[in-house]
Amino acid sequence: MRKGLARKCCVRKPGTAGASVRFGEIITTVAQRREYGVLALLVAAVAVVTAVNPTFLAPDNLRNILVQCAPAAIVACGLTLVIVTREIDISIGSLMGLLAAVMGILTASQRFGLPAAVGIGLTLLLGAGVGFLNGVLVTFGRVPSIIVTLGMLTALRGLTEVLMGGEWITDLPPALRFFGTGSLLAIPVSLWVAAAVVAGAMVLARQTRLGLRIYAVGGNPSAARLAGLPVRRTRIIVFTLTGFLVGVATVVGVTQLSTIESGIGVGFELLVVTCVVVGGTSISGGTGTIVGSLLAVLLLGTVRTFLIFLRLGEMSTYWERAIQGAFILGAVLLDHLTRRRTGAEP
Amino acid sequence: MTNRPHGEFRYWHELVLAALLVGLLAAAGAADRAFLGFAVQAELSTHVWELALMALPMTLIIIAGGIDLSVGAMMALCAVVLGLTYEAGVSAWVGAALAVLAGVAAGALNGLFVAWVRVHPLIVTLATLAAYRGVAEGISLARPISGFPESFAMIGRGQLAGVPIPGVIFGAAAVAATVALARTVFGRAIYAIGNNEAATRLSGIPVARIKLWVYTLSGAAAGLAAVMFVARRNTAKADIGAGVELDVITAVVLGGASIFGGRGRILGTLLGVLLIHETREFVSWRWERDELNLIVIGVLLIVSVLLNRVFSQREPE
Repeated sequence: MRKGLARKCCVRKPGTAGASVRFGEIITTVAQRREYGVLALLVAAVAVVTAVNPTFLAPDNLRNILVQCAPAAIVACGLTLVIVTREIDISIGSLMGLLAAVMGILTASQRFGLPAAVGIGLTLLLGAGVGFLNGVLVTFGRVPSIIVTLGMLTALRGLTEVLMGGEWITDLPPALRFFGTGSLLAIPVSLWVAAAVVAGAMVLARQTRLGLRIYAVGGNPSAARLAGLPVRRTRIIVFTLTGFLVGVATVVGVTQLSTIESGIGVGFELLVVTCVVVGGTSISGGTGTIVGSLLAVLLLGTVRTFLIFLRLGEMSTYWERAIQGAFILGAVLLDHLTRRRTGAEP
Repeated sequence: MTNRPHGEFRYWHELVLAALLVGLLAAAGAADRAFLGFAVQAELSTHVWELALMALPMTLIIIAGGIDLSVGAMMALCAVVLGLTYEAGVSAWVGAALAVLAGVAAGALNGLFVAWVRVHPLIVTLATLAAYRGVAEGISLARPISGFPESFAMIGRGQLAGVPIPGVIFGAAAVAATVALARTVFGRAIYAIGNNEAATRLSGIPVARIKLWVYTLSGAAAGLAAVMFVARRNTAKADIGAGVELDVITAVVLGGASIFGGRGRILGTLLGVLLIHETREFVSWRWERDELNLIVIGVLLIVSVLLNRVFSQREPE
């Protein structure tokens, strides 16, 4: 009973796929499910780039792209759930900067030189702690999440700069760098971690009681409260989870670089929010899937590589952000047009 | 603060801000007398005009229940337009006019998406934040353009009867915004949209057109701010105005405008801008560490809204 209900609430089922499905139904389904649209764009972009430059599909290149996308994919899992509950978290980039600084200061041999495991543990704990604080301010403090996380975005960046004091940390212990640069069974560690996080988030969203609550709270907060669901606790949990995942992304992402400076994660929040929205999660809550966000991370995270492989010259990378912005506007415009056609409520 | 901010006296929030400002200035004066000197304050004021100018339309947007994250990116786009047209041999004054026009166009595009495509303004302006800065980087290849004529620098550095010219421009805009918001049909409609958009639309008020107007004004203000900035610094580059949207929004929200719309005043925004400006300048002046500012302003934003919510009556969500 509960599982059946969860499925109905969480996902708009794309209709029973089968050989007998009519063409018109397929079009409607594709138009309604953003995942397919993003997937189509991704396939088209890969096809064009490969046609121009076949080396794009070389295993090394694909691996590099996936490794680059791993941190955004990890955080997008948490942020998708935050946005599903009708909140937003734009402090993730600054939090990543702070966590990178703390992790570096704790573990670098010239600073505290703590073992990598202790450094990682404290980093994850601090990430979850900041997420928890965001959640408490939003729910019990009744401050809108855009304000809380905007304040955090500013304050945490300042704190990072104070901690770093304008210096760089270059001597991260090898045990820590392993998470960013090492491999297990020929697959980079960061990809293992990202895959585990994505799988966990998908199970959480679709198969658990908490997942059902998250969608219920976002779909209609008043109804959820009247139904006796712990609305505040649910929101605090998703904020805490997102903070924790920023910690995970820091451990596998920042360690890909050989230096830590205070500018890490600047603009990261824009990339991840963009991915979640392009992936079909509604900013007004209640709908959205992890898969959609993941596909959008792959699409938007690869724009720069696309531009390089299209051999448009060095200057083409300057257009990266313009193209990312155009993708979002295109996605929302498409949404508008398909909504009009299917007659759904805006 | 009382439990009834909506009672007879309607300026509690402004009063608290003013008290905070006086307290801050008193503390600053006690710590370092020179900071309050006229010459110092006049010199420091050159940093605030762009922020203050863009905070005016942002107040209108936030009262109408929207938000504009793209102001910094629009500033960069306008600055690059000014730089490139000047480089192409056009007079800097014509370039400035074109820059403001570019701002109007960019703001209108935001407005079109918000008002007619009816996408959440957070999403629209997040997209155009990336898009406008991307276009600015793309067409200028991210290189700085400088060498503007001395006569043009007057817009940024000159004075009119002892008042800096950017201050004159801002003053005129502030008066216009105050009157428009408090005394015109346009202003009433903005409050109405923020309070209940559906009811406003059903009352026959042209909601879409008014939204288009406020976002276009925001673009125009960003264009003017870009011209003032380029004239003052004598350089146009695609990274101008990065992160300024956060300062602008912080000032407006600190000034008492509700992020949910329907509440706010220009006077509050002015106090919010002043509070941020004086805090920032004092911290930089005293400790010479700009990063402390980020912490102070971030905490100030959260705490001010938190106190406002705690002391105001419990509202239904």
